[in-house]
Amino acid sequence: MGLLSASDEAVLKQHLAAIESRVSLVLFTQTIGGSESGPVAKQVLDEIASLNDKIEVVEKNFVLDTEDRARYGVEREPTIVVLRDGQDTRMRFLGAPTGYEFVPLVEAVLLAGTGNLELEPATVTRLAAVDTPTNIQVFSTPT
Amino acid sequence: MAFANPNITATAVEATEFMDLSRRYRVTGVPKTIVNETIEILGALPEEQFVESALQAGDESPAT
Repeated sequence: MGLLSASDEAVLKQHLAAIESRVSLVLFTQTIGGSESGPVAKQVLDEIASLNDKIEVVEKNFVLDTEDRARYGVEREPTIVVLRDGQDTRMRFLGAPTGYEFVPLVEAVLLAGTGNLELEPATVTRLAAVDTPTNIQVFSTPT
Repeated sequence: MAFANPNITATAVEATEFMDLSRRYRVTGVPKTIVNETIEILGALPEEQFVESALQAGDESPAT
């Protein structure tokens, strides 16, 4: 059974129709002895990808794909890395993106797919001035 | 924010799945934001305030 209802899927599909660039959701999981949320993350991503053919899910093995882990700085599993036309958007999701994490994931997919930043012009100007590595981590819970 | 500048990385962390990280950053309520291991922002702030708080980390002397 799907995680999304038919009506949620219909609404989501409508939003995702704005996507113009290819969006890759790179999912790092550990098959043996990995987190239980890996398969849940996979299901969420597959359902999103099924709604728009510009979205793809790329599975990586957390243990074996060390080169990819290093490329994207992945230290835990499951981790989702969002790419736009193959380029890293530097947006990451740790854990299964369910509950409160689901909407931010969809927003990240839309941002990667459309390039439309929904930020105030003053914010964009301020962000452009950042010239040192800045790592932002936002903690939330599913409920 | 990450999308707007290649120097910025943004990670959403599911706090209950990664208890070690939650403990390390003393996450007792959500949302909680950690910037460069040092700055802590508790709760959801308006965009302008959030950006100013978050960017103290990467920019000690913000342009006026």
